Amino acid sequence: MKIDMKKLAAWFDDRLALTPIFKYMTKKEVPQHEHSFWYYTGSSILLFLFIQIVTGIMLALYYQPTLEGATDSIGRIMTELPLGWLIRSVHSWSSTFMIAFVMIHLLAIWFTKSYRKPREATWMTGMMLLVVSMVFGFTGYLLPWDDLSLSATKVGTNIPMAIPVVGKWVTQFLRGGGDVTGDTLTRFYLFHVCILPLVIFAILAVHILLVQKEGMSVPLKDEIAKKKVPALPFWPNFILREVVIWLVLLGVLLTISLAFAPSLELTADLMAPAPEGVKPEWYFLFLFQTLKIFPANMGPVTGEFVAVVLILIAVVAIFFLPFIDNKPEGKKGKLIQYLGVAGLIYAIVFSIWSLL
Amino acid sequence: MRIDNAYFTRRKFLNSILGGWLGAVAASFISPIVKFVWPPYKEPDEVKLVFADYSGMQPGEVKNFAWGSKPGLIKRAPDGSFIAWVGVCTHLDCNVAWLPDKKQFFCACHDGWYDENGTNVSGPPPKPLRRLESSVEGEDLFVRKPGVGAKT
Ligand code: HEM
Ligand code: FES
Repeated sequence: MKIDMKKLAAWFDDRLALTPIFKYMTKKEVPQHEHSFWYYTGSSILLFLFIQIVTGIMLALYYQPTLEGATDSIGRIMTELPLGWLIRSVHSWSSTFMIAFVMIHLLAIWFTKSYRKPREATWMTGMMLLVVSMVFGFTGYLLPWDDLSLSATKVGTNIPMAIPVVGKWVTQFLRGGGDVTGDTLTRFYLFHVCILPLVIFAILAVHILLVQKEGMSVPLKDEIAKKKVPALPFWPNFILREVVIWLVLLGVLLTISLAFAPSLELTADLMAPAPEGVKPEWYFLFLFQTLKIFPANMGPVTGEFVAVVLILIAVVAIFFLPFIDNKPEGKKGKLIQYLGVAGLIYAIVFSIWSLL
Repeated sequence: MRIDNAYFTRRKFLNSILGGWLGAVAASFISPIVKFVWPPYKEPDEVKLVFADYSGMQPGEVKNFAWGSKPGLIKRAPDGSFIAWVGVCTHLDCNVAWLPDKKQFFCACHDGWYDENGTNVSGPPPKPLRRLESSVEGEDLFVRKPGVGAKT
């Protein structure tokens, strides 16, 4: 029997209403200007997110989220399973790349001010994605359950305690009790492989839908001058460039993963003293250092409380940045531009300082 | 439909009854969920150790014991009695180590130091190590939370 492909396509189109989506894809255009390079950062994040999902599911086939089994099961993945060490290495490196690209994406949008009206909600869902990505990293860090990850998690989950009343609740929620125990490991695993993926997909769906709804932004000065910016068809021209970038990134990721596979320390002992050199993942280092420079007590409150409150204020301010920067072409807009540079320098300097 | 002089329409009234009812049903599930998700705090009131394991300690010597799911530290005082602490840093919860040659407790996480009485002497720890009470009762060495008192 010969299947009439046209008829088959028409049948699906009838039920799923796909034509408008295809039509949209072929009609969609991406503006071309001196900053369009940054448009590729969003899709690069998608590449790494996809790699995280595939390698993560593979690791979950053998990983055991228990006190007794966690470290050994990773040891088994690395030594007994075909290419297991590489899968783990790719998962670990791709997480680093993903977060790095989320940060580059955010900074590029900060400096080009693409968050300005009407893209405020895109920015705000983006900030949520940043937080979720970092929580992904934080929960994943504990899963090998070695000495370093145990101590880092104890420190990390204790930080909310600096806030009176609610902080204690947050800490107990994260730990599944007063202390970091096997229950914490179970919880972190559940967050890492179930809750956070659901959350990130929900927010990402809104984020990408908003990008489609508004189309890509054009540079501020062209918008003010009402200049017509040349554009590139999304399909196939833009996608072709995207695919080239994906392949390059994939090559870099694989090379680094092959050369620098992560190690595995001894399994964590809840009773053992903390080892030297307890550090969080690199993207938390500047926050870690910020907490460290505050003195133990500042008048009636602890230094930690002051530090945590300041960090929270900064996060909330960045979340609402499009509303704070409501006159992007004015003096305040310039200032916010410089604040972005200052924030970047601050994060780099503090990260390096924390390693000294 | 709106009855004469009424503040709202019948539809609005019915909507809020339905909405309020749904909200109330949802709210009634919150408490059991919250209770389940936040487990009861599990720190022990007291732990019972075998005195024989500790009776041979020299004055000034420090040993570890398990205080629930975290470490405890117990020190022999010159008069033969015991002093116990929760072996967890008061800064951000890392487990501390006793360094016998320095006669200090050390936290490697952010370089925190406590003297041999558990008092914070340098680094970020804001408070002394948490003290526990201890008493020898027959064959047993009890370590208790302050104020709990012996169970008879
Ligand atoms: C998991 C993390 C994220 C993913 C997967 C993601 C994905 C994307 C994609 C595919 C685009 C369209 C292409 C582009 O402009 O690069 C985009 C645009 C955008 N993103 Fe994200 N993003 C993430 C995080 C963020 C963060 C952290 C922010 C900032 C707080 C942000 C704010 C925006 C804005 C404002 C746009 C519109 C840019 C324009 O129209 O010029 N996103 N995102
Ligand atoms: S946790 Fe001990 S010094 Fe920070």
